[in-house]
Amino acid sequence: EEEEEEDSRAEDEDTGAQVAPIVKLQEVAVTTGEENEDVLLDLKAKLYRFDQEGKQWKERGVGNVKLLKHQETGKIRLVMRQNKTLKICANHLVLPTLKLQEHQGNDKSCVWHAADFADGELKDETFAIRFASLENCRLFRDKIEEITESLGEETAGGNEEEAAEAAASLIENLSVSEKD
Amino acid sequence: QALPSQQTVDYPSFKLVIVGDGGTGKTTFVKRHITGEFEKKYEPTIGVEVHPLDFYTNCGKIRFYCWDTAGQEKFGGLRDGYYIHGQCAIIMFDVTARLTYKNVPTWHRDLCRVCENIPIVLCGNKVDVKNRQVKAKQVTFHRKKNLQYYEISAKSNYNFEKPFLYLARKLAGDVNLHFVESPALAPPEVQIDLAAQQQHEAELAAAASQPLPDDDDDAFD
Repeated sequence: EEEEEEDSRAEDEDTGAQVAPIVKLQEVAVTTGEENEDVLLDLKAKLYRFDQEGKQWKERGVGNVKLLKHQETGKIRLVMRQNKTLKICANHLVLPTLKLQEHQGNDKSCVWHAADFADGELKDETFAIRFASLENCRLFRDKIEEITESLGEETAGGNEEEAAEAAASLIENLSVSEKD
Repeated sequence: QALPSQQTVDYPSFKLVIVGDGGTGKTTFVKRHITGEFEKKYEPTIGVEVHPLDFYTNCGKIRFYCWDTAGQEKFGGLRDGYYIHGQCAIIMFDVTARLTYKNVPTWHRDLCRVCENIPIVLCGNKVDVKNRQVKAKQVTFHRKKNLQYYEISAKSNYNFEKPFLYLARKLAGDVNLHFVESPALAPPEVQIDLAAQQQHEAELAAAASQPLPDDDDDAFD
């Protein structure tokens, strides 16, 4: 234990040379983008993305996965940040079409598909998330299912007419055109 | 400081030169930061690969152009030609391979011939491995040459942010600089049609049967 203490002290010690800074930076206001959202869930996890070309899972990040509900729009999204660097490794809406599946080889994991906005452009991603315990995995799954079910009801209840109209107009627009 | 093909940015950017013997984990370390993945497969770097890497700090966004150089002599390319205008550097060795530490002075000397007075971090990588050949106490080079030293693991992410944090603080002359949450922008609404959804579900089923890498560790730190 003593050795550990010594090590951690040694690590914080600055043994570097005195070098003149080359930029002058001003403190700026920090915005997380999550200011107007309520946290529905916040759990430690490890995230993977499926590499469609290599047909294998690749690590995306380790950190906290959060489900956030916007205070005004009511929209719910999943946001995950990498530990320490606090960069975003997942950022997507939780839509009624989101379906979680179990990962076959790991019962603390589940997989899903999403249009992810982590780097500021929408990308189709297949994600897997792994939790430290079965319980946390269940918490995550239950919460997501609760959200998607209630979103599904809203859509089914409120928008039936709209959906019917949309379908009708789509049918009207159906046409057969000749190829050039 | 960037390659001609790379766009410049309207926030501070720095050329970071990464050197050290082949197989010490330079490319894996950079890749870990860029995509989050941990690449086990060893493919030697030929010449140099330049990757922009952004961080959000309490003093705004900054970018390191990481010049990930070849460690293997036969793939060295321009060698110290890559060091020109380097503004900071990382020298990497592998704590499980003694020779890679013995070669640190050579990398340091070559680097300092081209880049005078730049902040340099010495990184002892692979500290997650049980059988170390270079113990923490045996690492003394940084004290002689005034470098900062970090023990890191690209595999476990141990201290993986420290080299960048240290360099950013030195380059800005601000010991209080720290990383902050990058803004999580609102994702735009997307319409998913039935065909696309069916395709996603098929992909999902195929993916769900593929094993997850390293799913044996339950410590998420």
